[in-house]
Amino acid sequence: VVAMLKCVMSGSQVKVFGKAVQALSRISDELWLDPSKKGLALRCVNSSRSAYGCVLFSPVFFQHYQWSALVKMSENELDTTLNLKCKLGMKIKRTHNICFQESQPLQVIFDKNVCTNTLMIQPRLLADAIVLFTSSQEEVTLAVTPLNFCLKSSNEESMDLSNAVYSEMFVGSDEFDFFQIGMDTEITFCFKELKGILTFSEATHAPISIYFDFPGKPLALSIDDMLVEANFILATLADESSRASSPQSLCLSQKRKRSDLIKKKAGKNITGQALECISRKAAPRRLYPKETLTNISALENCGSPAMKRANGDVSEVSENSVSNTEEVPGSLCLRKFSCMFFGAVSSDQQEHFNHPFDSLARASDSEEDMNNVCRKKFNGSDAKYFCII
Amino acid sequence: MRFRAKIVDGACLNHFTRISNMIAKLAKTCTLRISPDKLNFILCDKLANGGVSMWCELEQENFFNEFQMEGVSAENNEIYLELTSENLSRALKTAQNARALKIKLTNKHFPCLTVSVELLSMSSSSRIVTHDIPIKVIPRKLWKDLQEPVVPDPDVSIYLPVLKTMKSVVEKMKNISNHLVIEANLDGELNLKIETELVCVTTHFKDLGNPPLASESTHQDRNVEHMAEVHIDIRKLLQFLAGQQVNPTKALCMHRICRSGKKTLLFRVETNETSKRM
Repeated sequence: VVAMLKCVMSGSQVKVFGKAVQALSRISDELWLDPSKKGLALRCVNSSRSAYGCVLFSPVFFQHYQWSALVKMSENELDTTLNLKCKLGMKIKRTHNICFQESQPLQVIFDKNVCTNTLMIQPRLLADAIVLFTSSQEEVTLAVTPLNFCLKSSNEESMDLSNAVYSEMFVGSDEFDFFQIGMDTEITFCFKELKGILTFSEATHAPISIYFDFPGKPLALSIDDMLVEANFILATLADESSRASSPQSLCLSQKRKRSDLIKKKAGKNITGQALECISRKAAPRRLYPKETLTNISALENCGSPAMKRANGDVSEVSENSVSNTEEVPGSLCLRKFSCMFFGAVSSDQQEHFNHPFDSLARASDSEEDMNNVCRKKFNGSDAKYFCII
Repeated sequence: MRFRAKIVDGACLNHFTRISNMIAKLAKTCTLRISPDKLNFILCDKLANGGVSMWCELEQENFFNEFQMEGVSAENNEIYLELTSENLSRALKTAQNARALKIKLTNKHFPCLTVSVELLSMSSSSRIVTHDIPIKVIPRKLWKDLQEPVVPDPDVSIYLPVLKTMKSVVEKMKNISNHLVIEANLDGELNLKIETELVCVTTHFKDLGNPPLASESTHQDRNVEHMAEVHIDIRKLLQFLAGQQVNPTKALCMHRICRSGKKTLLFRVETNETSKRM
């Protein structure tokens, strides 16, 4: 079975789309493409699992958006190409064929609404703050009190280098569209990713919402302009004490080493090996409308609450599901969850589900192509999503 | 040692920023000398290699509306600091549209020059930007190397053409050769010459005017049209020209041959309020 995706964008839409890809490329070289009836989601996570980004383009963002799951295909040889066609002015057509491969799903749990601190700012403010720092600056610290906001060079970094300039900018709370600080907080995170997010936000002209808590707990940056919804989750540096109490935070180790605790296995064929991913076991909630998130480790620990919640969404797409097995919570949710995107089935558990996993999404220009599309068989592996390399 | 100063005038801040940019273009590190009446930027590249050496003087009262300093001691009421030029110019760059700029000497973990800017913002509250620039205090025993250079009487001294024009000519010449000959005479003529095996290019500037000579006697018998020449590395000249962002009211070049045969070329640029000699 195959899912099909076809999007057409105008020049200005391509610009926004391109900025999203650029922002995500600062996080990782690999991009996940998740088409669904909710729109096209682009996701990525960096190799140390300390930064995650997701941009969801709703169907109305595009000039033309066509997505369908589960078109029955005939058996054929493998064809995994994503066709990007550009029609420039003067009737020049440029076609890019980008190979993709099936991969593990990618989600993260983050509950924005329970964050103690929430800010909403215009991109201009963030741009003004960012010019204070040089491109060699690795990390910045955000310090807030109920009355003001400060972005400054990370203390740890400037202490190490005696020639480094320490810079800070204080901004009064009245410059913010929304300023709600529950407690005085100072968090430190990666500067490079922040710059990428800013470039994207300037393309959408929408304000940026920032959600965060204590050091060690991830920080979320969201941009929502009705057509596009983007969320970026960045790990923050943990204090010694808070690390002990919240071991499940998506956090940077104190020595600023991107965590080696997370071993990432690339793309295909990740079977039941545990990704020792540290992730929050918060109450799962929707980061995107009508979508449920699971955390990565939950792929292996299907008993997590996230999985149970997934049931709620499964029903929406159950008509698309090709899963034949029922009722085992966790793993079933897992499969059904993946079904929501591609109508595919998979198993990565110790339980032996021998359902061949057929999932292929191919951008196609014509009906004829559909007949040539082939089906890929995965036995017991988790191919659910696409990954552009 | 203490130092605090404040600029509130936009034009003064702008001027100061441009001077700082020029310094940053000329050398990576520079010395800042603070005395009760003046601020000096001093660059000391090794002259033996034909490097650029620079002495820049600012009358502090032309820039700062508040200026307080206390030197190393009462007899030596000066402060010499070494800093990375780009750090200062970058800090000043963020001060565009500032309501006020404050500079002071601080000691947060290590000695710093703290640049603090109050920025105008859309809302009622101001934004405050602070940069702590690490510095090294230069000990008194090294001060003698950083004194104002004595400008000897030149053989020829001439006003330069518009620096922008000169820069574009020299830039084109750089593509042909690294070695430039500058010739000037007391009749207001300046030539820039490059020569290779294949080609020889000369640009002539006329009617430039010469400043009055310091000591008439040495030159009375000189033929006014006699050209004095120096050979210089074109890249060093470009370095100097590229740094010129401040529109000078006067720019002149002095050429000197001392008895030992050693030639020096001295550029002196004056703007409204400052005097820079290079």
